[in-house]
Amino acid sequence: MLADDAELFRTALADLLERDGCVIVGQAADADGLLDAVERHRPDLAVVDIRMPPGHHLEGLRAAVRLRRLHPGTGVLLLSQHLEVTHLDELVGQSARGVGYLLKDRVTGPDFLSAIRRVASDGCAFDPEVVPLLAGQRGRRDELAALSAREREVLALMAQGRSNGAIAAELQLTTRTVETHVRNVFLRLSLPDEAEHNRRVLAVLAYLRSAPRATTSASASADSVDLGRKPAADDWSTASP
Amino acid sequence: MVGAVFGAAALWVSDGGRDPDTTTTFFSGVVGGLYLLTGSIAHLRRPGRLGLLMVMVGIAWFAEDLQVSNNPVPHTIGLFYRSVASASLVHLLLAFPDGRLHGRSERAVTGAVYATVLLLVPLGVPFYNSITPNLVLVADLTRLQENLINGTQIGFAVAVGVLLVRRWFVATPPARRVLAPVYGVGITGVAASLSQPGLPGESAELVKEIAHLATLGLPMAFLAGALRIRLGRTVVGGLLLRLPRADPTELRDLLAHALGDPTLRIAYPHPDDTDDTDNPDASELYVDAAGRPVIPRPQDAVTPVLRGPRVVAVLLHDPALRADRHVLEATIAAAALELDNQRLAAEVRAQLAEARASRARIVTAADEQRRRIERDLHDGAQQQLVTTALILRLARDRLGPDPSDPELGVLLRRAADGLEASVTELRELARGIHPAVLTEAGLMPALRALAARSAYPVDVIDGPALPPLPDQVAATAYFVAAEAVTNATKHAHATRVHVGVRVSANRLVVTVADDGVGGADLAGGTGLLGLRDRVAAIEGRLVVRSSPGDGTSVHANLPLEMP
Repeated sequence: MLADDAELFRTALADLLERDGCVIVGQAADADGLLDAVERHRPDLAVVDIRMPPGHHLEGLRAAVRLRRLHPGTGVLLLSQHLEVTHLDELVGQSARGVGYLLKDRVTGPDFLSAIRRVASDGCAFDPEVVPLLAGQRGRRDELAALSAREREVLALMAQGRSNGAIAAELQLTTRTVETHVRNVFLRLSLPDEAEHNRRVLAVLAYLRSAPRATTSASASADSVDLGRKPAADDWSTASP
Repeated sequence: MVGAVFGAAALWVSDGGRDPDTTTTFFSGVVGGLYLLTGSIAHLRRPGRLGLLMVMVGIAWFAEDLQVSNNPVPHTIGLFYRSVASASLVHLLLAFPDGRLHGRSERAVTGAVYATVLLLVPLGVPFYNSITPNLVLVADLTRLQENLINGTQIGFAVAVGVLLVRRWFVATPPARRVLAPVYGVGITGVAASLSQPGLPGESAELVKEIAHLATLGLPMAFLAGALRIRLGRTVVGGLLLRLPRADPTELRDLLAHALGDPTLRIAYPHPDDTDDTDNPDASELYVDAAGRPVIPRPQDAVTPVLRGPRVVAVLLHDPALRADRHVLEATIAAAALELDNQRLAAEVRAQLAEARASRARIVTAADEQRRRIERDLHDGAQQQLVTTALILRLARDRLGPDPSDPELGVLLRRAADGLEASVTELRELARGIHPAVLTEAGLMPALRALAARSAYPVDVIDGPALPPLPDQVAATAYFVAAEAVTNATKHAHATRVHVGVRVSANRLVVTVADDGVGGADLAGGTGLLGLRDRVAAIEGRLVVRSSPGDGTSVHANLPLEMP
C-alpha cells in the first residue's frame, strides 16, 4: 500500500517494489484514501509520505499513528524529507514493532528494500540519521552514558533493524564480537532476561524512549503491544541480508 | 494733535453760549479731551481702528459744541454737525473692542445713524430756529424736527441697546472681560440719566453728578477695555519664562491662560501636507501632539503659527482673541519655538509608530516567505530530485548487473550520487531558512532538534508546558536561540550551552547561557544586532550579558500579544 500525493514518485516506487516481488494492492494520494484502502485490503505494509493534502502538514504522520492503532498487523513505513525526533516519538509510541521512519531519499539506497521487508514482517527500520539525533538529546545521553562508544554504535545499528550479521559486516567485526556487544548492551540497560528478539526490540525502545517525552506523543500508546510477554514469533534476524 | 487744536478752537468759539446748568466749557473740554487722550493712548499702544474711532468721537464731540456758540457763523456751522458725536459714539460702541463692525445688523444700524446725522439733520438746518440766529433759516419747523429727531433717537437707542445686549449674551469669557468696563459705565450712565427726572431735588442732583461722571468715565472705560487686552502682554512675559519646561498639555494650558480662552486647542498640520501656508484656514486635516486628527469646531477661529514660511501649528481658539491681534501674535511668537518642537515631536512619533508597524510587517512577511520557501523546497525541488533519483535507480536496475556498456553503469551511479548530495544539501538549506518542525510541532521540539543537531552539548531545559505561541513570537524565539547557540559554539568556545524557555507575566522569556570565553558585544557582531532588530520588531527586548572569562548569556523578553 503506497500513500503519497506525488503521482510520479508513487508510480516509480510501485515499479521498484513490484520488481522486487512485492504486490501493490493500492495507492492513495491523501490520508483518507490511505485509511480506506488499508481498511479494504489489510496489506502487510503501508509506505506513507509524512506531508499530504489537504494541508501538506503532518497528515501522513497522523494517518500512520491511526493505522498503527487500528491495524497492528499492517506495518507502517513513514517517509519524510527531513527527520524530527518529535515525529519519531509520536510515530513509535510504546511499540517498536512493524514501524519505520526513513528519509525519503533512502528509496534509492541499497538498504531500502530490506527495510521494507523488515517493517512488513513486524520489525523496525529507523533512519541512520535518527540515531545521532537521539544521542544529541539530553536525557537520552544520560541514560546511554553507561554504554561504551562501540556498544552505542551497535545499538544504533540495532535500531536501524540490522541483524547481528549485518552489524558485524557494517562494523567489520566478527559476528561473535557483535553478539558480545549486544549482550553487554542488554546488561547495561538492565533489560529482563528474555528471548533475544524481544530484548533487541526492548533495547531499541529504551533507546527511543529515553528522551523526555513530547506531550503529544502519548496519544499513540492506547493499544500498544506489551512486548515483554509476547512470544518471539517471527524471523527478525533473517529479514536482513 | 489736530483734534486737540480743533477742540480748543471749538471750545473757545462756543464758550460764550454755555448754559451753566447743563454743560460747562470745562466739562465739555474734559470729556472731548479724554476721548482724544484715551484714543491716542489706545492707538499708540495698540495701533488700530479703535484708537482712531475714539479720537474721532472726541473731534465729533467738539464739533457738536460749535452750535452752542453765540456767534451766528460757528453756530450755523455747528447746527449741521449737532449730532455727529452720537453717531461716532454709536459706531465706537458697536465696533468696540476691535474697531470693526461685525454682521449686517451692526453695519445697518451704524450706517443708518450716520445717514441720519450727516444727511437728514443737515437737510433740516434751514428749518431750525434756535436762540442764536440761524444764518440759513428758511422756515421754522423746529418743533416738528425736534419730535422727529427725538423719535429717531429713541429708535436708534433701542436698536443699539438690543445689539449690545445680544453681544453680551453671545460673548465668550475673554470677550466679556474686555466689554465689562464699557458696559458697566454705560449702564450706570443710562440708569442715572433715566432715573434723574423721577427723583426728588437732592437725590436728582447726586444722580446728575453720577450721569456726568459716567459721561466722563466712558472714554476711560474704552481705554480700560483696550488695556485689559493689553494686560495679556504681561502674561506673555510670564509665558516666555515658563515655556522651556512646558510639556504638551501644559503648553496648551499656559497658552489658554495667557490668552484667557479656556477652549483653546493646539493642532498641527497633517504631516502629509505641510508647507501649505497660503490656505491655513482651509478644512485640511490637523493632528494633535499624539498624531490623532483634530477637527475644528464651527465656532473656532484658526490662527496659524508660523516659523519662517512654514505653518508649525495652528491655534483653534475663540474668535474674540482676534480683537487684539497683537497679544495673539506676541503669544504665538513666544510659543512658536516650543510649538515647532512639539510639531516635530508629533511628526517623529507618527513616523516612529509607522516605522514600528512597518518593521513588524516586514518581519512577518519575511517569516511567511521563509516558510513558503522551505515548503517549496521540500514539496517542489526536493520531491522532484528524489523522484528523479528513484527513476534513475529503476533505469540502473533495468540495466542489470552486467551492462553491455560498463561506462553507462558508472555514469548512472555518478548521476545518482550527485542527486543524493543535492537532496542532502537542499534539506540543510531548507532547515536553515526555516525549520519545518517549528511549524509542524512548535517551539520546544524545534529547540530540541536544534540541540540534537548541534556539534556541542546543548541542554534544552524543560519547564512547564508553553501556551500556544503566535507564529512571530515562536519564530523570533527560535532564531534568537539558534543564533545564540551558534555564537556559543563558534566564537565563545563553550563546552556547554543551556537553553531555557518560560512564560512569565504574558511574556515569553528565552535564555541562552554558555560557559565560553564571554566578551560578546551586541554592537560588534552583526548576528546579535540582527537579533536585536528582530526582537524589537515584535516589541520585545534583547539583553546580552557577557564579560570576558565569565560566559555569555542572551535574554530575549517577548510579548505574547502584539500591542
